[in-house]
Formats: sequence, C-alpha cells, structure tokens
Amino acid sequence: MDVLLDGVLALCLPLLAWLVLRTESLSQAVVLFVAFGLLSALGWARLEAPDIALVESAVGTGLTGALLMHTLSWTEETPPDIRARGRRRPWALLAVAASTLMLGWAVLALPADSPGLGPLVEARREESGVKHPVTAVLLNFRGYDTLLEIAVLLVAALGARAVNPRSERPTPDAGDDPLTGELFRMMMPALLLVAGYLVWVGDHGPGGAFQAGAILAGGGVVALLTMRMGPPRLSSWQVRWALLTGPMLFIGVAVAPLFTGRRLLELPRPYAGTLIFVVELALTVTIAMVLLMFFPGTRPPRAGAEGEP
Amino acid sequence: MMGGTALMAWSVALPLIGAVLSLLVGRAGVRLVAGVASVATLIASSLVAWEVSTQGVLRQQLGGWGAPLGIEWRADGLAALMLLTIAVVGPLISVHALDHLGDREDREFLPLWLFIWCALNALVLSADAFNLYVTLELTTLGAVSLIVVRRDLPGLDAGLRYLLFALPGSLCYLLGIAFLYGAYATLDVGMLAQRVQSGPVTWVAAGLVTVGLCLKTPLFPLHVWLPPTYTGAPTPVTALLSALISKGSFYVLLRLWLEVFAPVLDAEVGQLLGLLGAVAVLWGSVLALSQTQLKRVVAYSSVAQIGYMFLVFPMATSGARAGVIYLVVSHAAAKASMFVAVGNIHQAVGITELGGVQGLAYRMPFTFLAMALGGISLIGIPPSGGFIAKWLLLNESIGTQQWWWALVLLGGSLLAAAYVFRILRGSFLPLPPGVTVRSIPLGNELAPLALALIALLLGLVPWFPLDLLAVGASR
Repeated sequence: MDVLLDGVLALCLPLLAWLVLRTESLSQAVVLFVAFGLLSALGWARLEAPDIALVESAVGTGLTGALLMHTLSWTEETPPDIRARGRRRPWALLAVAASTLMLGWAVLALPADSPGLGPLVEARREESGVKHPVTAVLLNFRGYDTLLEIAVLLVAALGARAVNPRSERPTPDAGDDPLTGELFRMMMPALLLVAGYLVWVGDHGPGGAFQAGAILAGGGVVALLTMRMGPPRLSSWQVRWALLTGPMLFIGVAVAPLFTGRRLLELPRPYAGTLIFVVELALTVTIAMVLLMFFPGTRPPRAGAEGEP
Repeated sequence: MMGGTALMAWSVALPLIGAVLSLLVGRAGVRLVAGVASVATLIASSLVAWEVSTQGVLRQQLGGWGAPLGIEWRADGLAALMLLTIAVVGPLISVHALDHLGDREDREFLPLWLFIWCALNALVLSADAFNLYVTLELTTLGAVSLIVVRRDLPGLDAGLRYLLFALPGSLCYLLGIAFLYGAYATLDVGMLAQRVQSGPVTWVAAGLVTVGLCLKTPLFPLHVWLPPTYTGAPTPVTALLSALISKGSFYVLLRLWLEVFAPVLDAEVGQLLGLLGAVAVLWGSVLALSQTQLKRVVAYSSVAQIGYMFLVFPMATSGARAGVIYLVVSHAAAKASMFVAVGNIHQAVGITELGGVQGLAYRMPFTFLAMALGGISLIGIPPSGGFIAKWLLLNESIGTQQWWWALVLLGGSLLAAAYVFRILRGSFLPLPPGVTVRSIPLGNELAPLALALIALLLGLVPWFPLDLLAVGASR
C-alpha cells in the first residue's frame, strides 16, 4: 500500500510541475501549483517530516497560492498566453538533463544509512527544555539561525512594501455579504484556536511559531480580501509593535546571557522551556504580520487605472 | 570587563538591535537610533579586531552547545579585517546616502542598511555552512529591498534582476551544503575540512557551492545582471553592493574553497576559476572603456576587479590569499568612493553621460580628488591599497611559476588606467556654457574623499592589515 502511495506521488509530482510550466493560462497554472504544493506536503509527510509538511501546506501552498491568486486579480483581465512568449530551447532541455544526471549521480553516491546529527540531537534533547527534537534544534541548538531568519522575514516585509501598489480603502460595513460574513465569523475562532494549539504543541510534537503564524495570517488574509481591514502599514504604531515585539523579545533573550558572562543565546537550563514558549508565542504574531504584509489590498475599480506603484 | 567572545556577539547583535529599534521608533527617531547603533557597532568591531591582533583567533560556541550540534563562530585575522572594513566603509556610504536620497527613502535606507550590516558581520564570523546560507539570504533580501527603495521603474527593474540571479545562487549553495551534510553529517566548516573526501558527492557539492556563490559575486560569465543592476539602483546602494555586499559571497567562497574544497579537488579546477577571472578582468575593462554612461564605466570596472579576486584559486598560497584579501579591502574603499563620487556628479549636474563631467573638477574639487585617488587604487599605482594587492599577487604568480597571471594583472592595470583617465580628462576641460552646477552639501563631498583616503592609507601603512591577516592563517 505504501509503495503504491509513494509511486503515485513520485509520478504525479514531476507531472504536475511540468503542467504548471506548460499550461496556457496563468490562473490554471496557479491552481496546478497549489495542487503541486499539497502533493509535495504529502510527500514530506511520507518522508516522516511532519513539520515540513505542515509548513509546506500552510505557507508554501496555502498562503502562496492565495497570494498568487490575489496577484492575478491585479493583472489584466485576460493574462497573455505565457506559452507563446517562450520558444522551445533545446539547450535548456540539455542543461536540465545534464544537471539532473549530475545530481542523481551524487545522490546515489551518498551514504545510505547516514543518521546525520539525529542521534546527537536525541541524546541532548533533555537539556534543550523542549521535548520535540525539531523545536529543540530550531529554538535552542541552532536558535541563532532562527534569530537571523526572523531578521530575514522583517527585511522581506520591508521589501514587499516597495512593490505593493496602493489599494482600495477598507470598508468594514460593506463586509455584510451573507456568505463571506458568516464564513469569516465561523472561521476566525477556529483559526485562533488552531494557531494557539500549534504553538503549544511545538513543545512536544510537530508545530511551532511558523506554522501557527501562517494559520493566523490566513485569517488576516480573509479579513483583508473581504475588505474588513486594509493592508497593514508600518506607519501605524500598532502594526509596528505587533511586528517587532517578537524580534525584540528574542534579541533580549539572546543577549541577556552576555551580561552574566555567558554566551549569546545560552538559555539558563531550568527556564529554557518557558523562554522558548514565550518567544515562540511572540514570534507567531510577528510571522503572521510579515506574511500579511506581502498582500496588497483590493484593487481599486478600473476607472482609476493607477495600478503602478 | 568584556572578553573578546562577548564583543563578537555584540558586533552582530548591535546592528540588529539598531535595525529593529529604528523601525519601532517611527519616522522621528530613525536617524538618532541608527547613528547610535552605528557608532556602537564600529566600537565593537574595532575591539574584536584589537582582541584578535593581540590574542589570536577568537572562538565562540553559540548557545554553549558547540559543533556539530550548535553553531560556532571563529574570528581570525581575515574575519577581523573584514569586520573593520565593513564598519568603516559602510557608515561612510550611509552618511552620503542621507543627503542623496529623499526623506522617505532615508528612513527606509537606515534600518535596511543596519540589517545588512548585521548579516555581513554574522557572515564574516560564522564557521557553520548552513548559518552562512542564512547570512547570505539576509544580505540578499536586504540588498533587494535597498535597490527598490526609490520605488521607481529603473530601481524595480534592477531589484528584480538582482533577485532573479541571487536567489538561484542561494539555492545552489544550499543544495551543495545539503549534499555535504548528507555525506559528512556536520555543518561546521572546520569539521567538514577534516572529514571531506574526494568523490562524486564532494565534487557535485563543490560545483554547486561555487556556481551559487559565483552567481552572487558575480564572476564572468554569470555577471550579466551586474551592469544593469548597478546602473538602475540608487547610487549609495550601488556603492554598498559593489563595496561590501558582493564581497560577502566572495568571502564565503574563499573560506570554503581554501579550507574545505581545495585539498580534494584537482588543480585544474582552480586554474579554470582563475581563467574565468582573467577573462573577467579583460572583458570587464574593455567594456568599461567603451561605455558612454559614467555609472556604467564604474560598474564594468567592478566586473574586472572581481575578476582579479579569482586569481587566488589557481595560486592558492598564503601570499596570494593575503594579496586577494588586500584587493577586497582596498577595492571596497576605492570603489565605494568612486560610486559615491558618481552620485555627487549626478546630483550636481543631473547628467548621466560620461561627457557630463566636463569642467566639474573646478567646481567639485573634493569629489574629483576622491575619484582620482580611488582610480589610482583601481589601477594599482603606488601608494595605494590596490598597488600592494597587485604587488603581492604579482610576486605569487612569479613564485608559483604561473607567469601568465602576471600578464593579466599588468594588462588589466593598463586598461584600468585608460578608463580612469577617460573620466578624469573630461573633468579638467572647461565647463561647457549653459550647464548649471548645483552645490551639494559638504558632507557629501567629504564622504568619497574619506573613502579614497582609506584606499591611499592602505598603501602607506600596509603592515597593520598584513599583520592582522597573518593571525590564524592556515598556510
């Protein structure tokens, strides 16, 4: 049964990837891309990497799919045939084939049974303050990587600001369309609950700030697209605090040991679990805010025709 | 009170704290916060360099875990010299940016520059191959955000070009590191150096890492994004890109190549990289000579100067290493000074053509003095940092009996002289009638001069950087 499932995945993934590239309309390509993302999330789950599967489905597929769809609503009504512009290039095929062969050669030469650092992580997991090995690596053993990744997210949000066009003002009262209004009211509590659960469960199972932040951002995106709120702007102090409390807390936890003669990010062992939980909770809001900042608001009506930033 | 290892942590943490706080305070306090953070980081970086020069290589196990479980930092003389270069050159460029960009761009420039500063310091100190990827990512995205800071079409075009080349570069690097981890079960550069063996995995990993980093630096023939990006970006951002950001990916390549890959690869691969570098020197210089836009001349000159840096791979001696790092540092100062000077010229006359410099030497003496001094270092005329660098490389090419690289060095210098004099000659012609020269703030005239004087100083007192470089040099 497993072999069958893996076989179907292994066949469908390259096929879908090919279709994404070859399809004529952009909206079809986006739909196919979402399907590709969901299947690859399944693939990660089959590879026993549930954490990556969660992130892939929430960020790589859910939010990215929504962002691509939303971007389509900003483009012309009839997107140009994307295939017409790219001619067939035999040398491109040759290059792809050559690099595939080269990578395959290297993969086959990899040691089949290398455990990596898994056993070492397992051996010292107790000292990290959390029970889930992935959280132990991300927030403690290699917490410094995560600290810099948070900076990457902030920088990405700053960069997105430059390309996001001006959008329609939000109209909170117009959101009483029975369908979306009811959907929104039903969805929000569930999203909050799931996000909170994911942060909490990160201590001992697959979950954590990134997954929870993505779920939270999903709720924000729905609010944004139903015009309940405008895109978050850095000029508002609420947005700035929501964005920056997490990073400030994390940096504070990182540099505090320096004052007592210890090393950067050396968490005091008895409090490590608590500190990690608090930092993750604050980072969830940061991550949700960053992801939300990638989304422009609703496109103004055609008459304006001022989509350019 | 504070040991060298804590100082290393501060040299990374302070710009990060400054970036976050400057975002938090909103429009009023950005300059103040960024200024305080810059001074504090400069002090921390200088103290790290001092500690390294007096006590030798510094190490820190972040979080107290130690490799291979955790991430380690390692500051040798090379890292200390890079920290110093970033801390001196970067703020001088950002001082110039303050008056060059508009008010809004100003507020957005400073936090982004502080993020990049944090990323570069972290990159220089890191001894962990995956952590290096994270720092490269932070640098790249920070650079893209800076390129588009004006939100005009040329800037967006330049930013997208940079992103489309730098991102695949990062992914190539990451894939290479994944292979290394799969085969050797560690990400620590020192441990990789001990465990790495010749074989398909290592060859493919080395190829991916090298191609990825060459895309970002960039090395000929992957340089096609550089001229349009450098031209389209706001000039202070171009100065940062050329002086510091492109050096980040080169630094990673130098580290990994000399410490990990070189012993397990055939010498021919080093020769190939050197050959591409040599072509870059000649091709970049010839194209610099044939440009009609001032900024493009300086941009193509960067293609050529990056080419010299790859001559380290075929020679691979400690002398060549010192020479190339000397080139990295003096090019950072000299090229930053030239781009900043170009920014001044654009601001003063609003002409981007090479002919626009006509007569300006009389009106903007400091700017053209800076341009001339920076040019001297690019050409390699004594006394300048560029001269010391080329002298060291010349010695090594003779010493390792690879005389052909000497020809590249000399030919490149002649071509550089030609394109530098082409700019300077025009500036001494009489000012054409009808051209109005707007006056620019004194600070903007002095910033490029200060940068150029650093390039000059590197030629006058070479022993301090060279002694520092010798700390912890493996061979």
